[in-house]
Amino acid sequence: MGTYCREVLPESPPPIRSLADDIRGRSDEELTALLAARPDLARPAPSDLTALASRSSTRASTARAVDGLDTAHLLALEAAAVGGESVTPTALARLLDGADVDLVESLLDDLWRLGLVWRAPQGLVVTRTVVDVLGESVAGLGLPADDLPGPAAADDETLRAEIATAPPRARAILDRLAWGPPVGIVPADDAPGRRGPSDDGARWLVAHGLVRAIAADQVALPREVSMVLRDGRVHRQPRLDPPELAGVTRQVEQVDAAAGASASEVLALLDELLDSWSQNPPRVLRTGGLAVRDLKAAAAQLDTSPEHTAYLVELALIADLVADDGEVDPHWVPTAEYDIWQTEPGGERWARLALAWLTTTRAPHRVGSRTDAAAVINALGPDGQWPPIRTLRRGVLDLLAGVQEGVAASATDVAEAVRWRRPRRVPRTLDAVVAAVLREASWLGVTGHGALSVGGRALLASEGDVQALAESIHPHLPAPVDAVLLQADLTAIAPGPVTGSLAAFLRLVADVESRGGATVHRFSEDSIRRCLDTGWTGEDILAGLRDASSTPVPQPLEYLVRDVARRHGTIRVRGVSSVIRSEDEGGLDVMLAHRKLAALQLRRIAPTVLTSPVGPEVVLEMLREEGFAPVPESASGTVTVPTRPARRAVRQRAVDPALVQLMDEAQLGSLIAGLRAAEAHARTRAPMTMDGRTGPAIPANDPTTSMAVLREAIADGRPAWLGYSDGIGRTQRLLFYPERIDGGRVTGVSDGVTRTLSIHRITGVVPD
Amino acid sequence: MTDGALIVQSDKTLLLEVDHPRSAEARRAIAPFAELERAPEHIHTYRITPLGLWNARAAGHDAEQVIDALVTHSRYPVPHALLIDVADTMARYGRLTLTKDGDLLVLRTTDRAVLTEVLRHKRIKPLVGERLDEDTVVVHPSERGHLKQELLKVGWPAEDEAGYVDGEAHTITLDQSDGWSLRPYQEQAVDGFWDGGSGVVVLPCGAGKTLVGAGAMAKASATTLILVTNTVSARQWKDELIRRTSLTEDEIGEYSGARKEIRPVTIATYQVLTTRRKGVYTHLDLLDARDWGLVVYDEVHLLPAPIFRMTADLQARRRLGLTATLVREDGLESDVFSLIGPKRFDAPWKDIEAQGYIAPADCVEVRVTLPDGQRMAYAVAEPEDRYRLASCSDSKLPVVEKLVARHHGEPTLVIGQYLDQLDELATRLQADVITGETSVTERQRLYDAFRTGEISLLVVSKVANFSIDLPEASVAIQVSGTFGSRQEEAQRLGRVLRPKGDGRTAHFYTVVARDTVDADFAAHRQRFLAEQGYAYRIVDADDLD
Repeated sequence: MGTYCREVLPESPPPIRSLADDIRGRSDEELTALLAARPDLARPAPSDLTALASRSSTRASTARAVDGLDTAHLLALEAAAVGGESVTPTALARLLDGADVDLVESLLDDLWRLGLVWRAPQGLVVTRTVVDVLGESVAGLGLPADDLPGPAAADDETLRAEIATAPPRARAILDRLAWGPPVGIVPADDAPGRRGPSDDGARWLVAHGLVRAIAADQVALPREVSMVLRDGRVHRQPRLDPPELAGVTRQVEQVDAAAGASASEVLALLDELLDSWSQNPPRVLRTGGLAVRDLKAAAAQLDTSPEHTAYLVELALIADLVADDGEVDPHWVPTAEYDIWQTEPGGERWARLALAWLTTTRAPHRVGSRTDAAAVINALGPDGQWPPIRTLRRGVLDLLAGVQEGVAASATDVAEAVRWRRPRRVPRTLDAVVAAVLREASWLGVTGHGALSVGGRALLASEGDVQALAESIHPHLPAPVDAVLLQADLTAIAPGPVTGSLAAFLRLVADVESRGGATVHRFSEDSIRRCLDTGWTGEDILAGLRDASSTPVPQPLEYLVRDVARRHGTIRVRGVSSVIRSEDEGGLDVMLAHRKLAALQLRRIAPTVLTSPVGPEVVLEMLREEGFAPVPESASGTVTVPTRPARRAVRQRAVDPALVQLMDEAQLGSLIAGLRAAEAHARTRAPMTMDGRTGPAIPANDPTTSMAVLREAIADGRPAWLGYSDGIGRTQRLLFYPERIDGGRVTGVSDGVTRTLSIHRITGVVPD
Repeated sequence: MTDGALIVQSDKTLLLEVDHPRSAEARRAIAPFAELERAPEHIHTYRITPLGLWNARAAGHDAEQVIDALVTHSRYPVPHALLIDVADTMARYGRLTLTKDGDLLVLRTTDRAVLTEVLRHKRIKPLVGERLDEDTVVVHPSERGHLKQELLKVGWPAEDEAGYVDGEAHTITLDQSDGWSLRPYQEQAVDGFWDGGSGVVVLPCGAGKTLVGAGAMAKASATTLILVTNTVSARQWKDELIRRTSLTEDEIGEYSGARKEIRPVTIATYQVLTTRRKGVYTHLDLLDARDWGLVVYDEVHLLPAPIFRMTADLQARRRLGLTATLVREDGLESDVFSLIGPKRFDAPWKDIEAQGYIAPADCVEVRVTLPDGQRMAYAVAEPEDRYRLASCSDSKLPVVEKLVARHHGEPTLVIGQYLDQLDELATRLQADVITGETSVTERQRLYDAFRTGEISLLVVSKVANFSIDLPEASVAIQVSGTFGSRQEEAQRLGRVLRPKGDGRTAHFYTVVARDTVDADFAAHRQRFLAEQGYAYRIVDADDLD
């Protein structure tokens, strides 16, 4: 490559002085590449190249691009940032511990394409935002000496000489700070701000300008000194090559066979889980999700570990096989898609699960752990969403796909490689996440014996094509069996996967005792009764067993079925509302035949007993109407005499109505006298002068009155005198020209100023 | 996908298809490490347990062989996790070894981390002494047994290579003058035991465990202590030893409630050893009375817990356990492993039966219907009385009579638990009854009469369950028994499975009251029988012709 040094090209366009210039100078292909690599720049479309350049140098977009770098590019970028204003590939290769110059050039080229560095005439320049994003201590280096208190840094030779003369204690401090963090706290005795006996430590270093005191007890190593100490390298061991994935090599046939077995088991487990949820759906928690108790119950039923169970229920959710039924009392129930899914061939069924798993943003492995808010994450709950998992999962699988077929890479290696590929974007829990992804892949049959299976490869290449994916796994799924072996110890063993109606029949008539390549079902009284309860007869069951079995039905099993069937249903229960008893069987015959009594829906359950779903009162009344003479009986069978007490109401305690007390003449007289006195007093009240204006005395009104007076004044277009209590409790007198009242406020003009007053602060109003 | 005879399940059971052409081969491959759990007609179930894997390790098999056996014979791919688990578990055995370092008994390790881990355990720390170096720690000889027990509990079983004392020599040879010799499987059992040092031989009732004991004694040619379940059994051991070996009556002593003889070969009962007076075991001295070269434990699965504790102190002597089953109802299998020793020989019942040494048995469950009066009584009874009520129903009596009549003349045992029921049966059947109260002499007399054919019908209580030898019994009728105990079932079946001279079919009847807890318990027992591969039928009493 080597095309980044524009100054060596024969005809240079006008010198590039900024990233914007650089971007403006790019070809269409280069711009397309930039937008493809940093899609956030293209949305929404920038108005022109300057806008594109400025958008590309925003902190958010730059951080996004830097986070997406793999370790090699990141190291190169860090070295470039350390390298100063402008660096050449040769200089950069030196900073990167003598890396291959061609490699460094190609790395820089990639960084330039991403718009993280731009080409100035004198070399490459790292954009200011990138420096900002990388932070103050790039690669554990301190600030340059210019940015620290103290004199400017000496040149490398001088520094080297100084370092060589450092006493051992000072040297130890330097070694501690050399590879970062570049700031250290020194013990109080040694602190640079103090005088003391030990002048061979931090104080020596400060005195010789090798470290700078940035606080009373803190010293910082200037970047120049670090670089000398680091021998001119930015990183101790720059890993510019991706780590190798090593592992055990397995036979490809075995890998695929094992994956097929896992795939088949996942299907069987989901069938069993969802079959039982159809009957007894677990409740949806108020916060969404599945209760821990229900998850445990599922684990017990499937005989799987808690993690495996959580994975299965989550898989059912992401493959749309189960959903919240949305009822008032919501439950997790299988969906209509489940019914379709169930009837599909094994390959298709697996393909749908695998595709759903590959792209989901749910992270089943987080079930049971805690969120940042310390809440336990429930399966199927909203906290199960964890978007980073999708990229991580894809990353892990891509790595597995990258190794030779049949090689089972170890989880540590894979985690290491993931970390190398996205050093700035891996979560703290990376090791656990990688282990979880590998575990889930093996449960699903995407891997077998730890190596990517043929199904797994097809999954990564499928782009959502169910059919192709199904065909890839199909030959490796164990062939379903259509017959079971019945044994005298009351077990039925299906020596392979069973599907469809046979599986449903076995689940109904027996309990699963052990799973794996085969399924062991156990018959018991309870399981047979359960089957009879759903409407099967003993003979049906035996016929079903005979069809399902390749061997004769053992005598003890046949006996068990017949024995349970013999007792099943010998006791019948029905609900009725009333019973009619009579020794007169003829009379009952008449009732049954009576047209008008048909509404009672009478049924004869014994020669002398009729029943009706209608309540006893109605039955009694209707029988009486038709000329029978029935007597009511209590539930225990004794005749009840209809005692009809005369009806009485309980006296309600009356509430006295509020009455206006009548007034006698004396009271009226004194009242009127009072009014007159007040009137006279008002007339004699002297007008008051205030603020140079004379006005009437202002009485104390209640707000209703005040508002009424004001409304009148508005209607008349006349002013009014009012008293207004201000913020500090003083009452002001105003001659006020009100204009409108709304919301408990009155607006008007006073002294030429528009004011808005609260009604509740107005003490009284007098029209002028 | 291979066409193997084996299916590996995720719960670590192995299903073996019996009719598969390569089933015998597969069975041989997995027998060393998997315990046969069920053996019904078509598919046998084996289970892989840590103890089983360690037993295999003790017998010299390695994880490679186990995994190879699984992978070779499995029809479907074996779950990867299971293979890893097998390898891990097996690797735990032998990391620690008990050996002699000069005169010192030491625990040595090949893995320092393991030694450090186990020494940190609170219960193990007091059992060991000074740490000689990084890999070795001194063990006090008296703690040899306890240490092995505790190490097994924490999952790091120790291999005991500390050897044994020779004991006081005493010449014992097998007396094969009348053309008699050990059967091949008995030879294998003796050799397996001797090569292993100490351990357990598993053989079904009637397969001649006594002779395996005699063979082992001949190998050891040393003074021997034999521990048996009861006096009758002790007498039978004595008779058998006199008949089959060079030992004379004077050389064999009986140490029981009745007699306290200590001779070069001494037969003691568990009961006398576990007798306590004022909280002290009074007969413990027996264990040190002589310098025993071999200790034989009959019916290991019944070994009472105190004997385990005593055995912990006998670790320097060779120990041979004999039993029909390693399954203990009390779950002390691990103590058998650590204190007596690993399994040294095992043969599935059915295989031996096929070799013609055990009479085939026909198992029938006869269901009687309780009369209405008793149904009512049963329905209102307290739960603890229900079993007795149901199992003692008199409606069983005519059925028993009918069965006895059907097999008239054949040696028949009627077995029950409740004495009044047995008495009533004895009266109706005009037969003698043996219970715990019957004196030893009377018991011996009746057994002898039964053996000679003088009487052909005996009513016995549960004392008859253990270690009696009734060679001619060919019909057993069980009317009541302890609550569905598998162990008891094995014993009872053993009664009638003793070799018959003419190869007649043995019959085993269980009479059960329908729709009661009796039938529930019977279901347990029947399941056990079916799992052992005995065809059984259920018939209604009315259908009994």
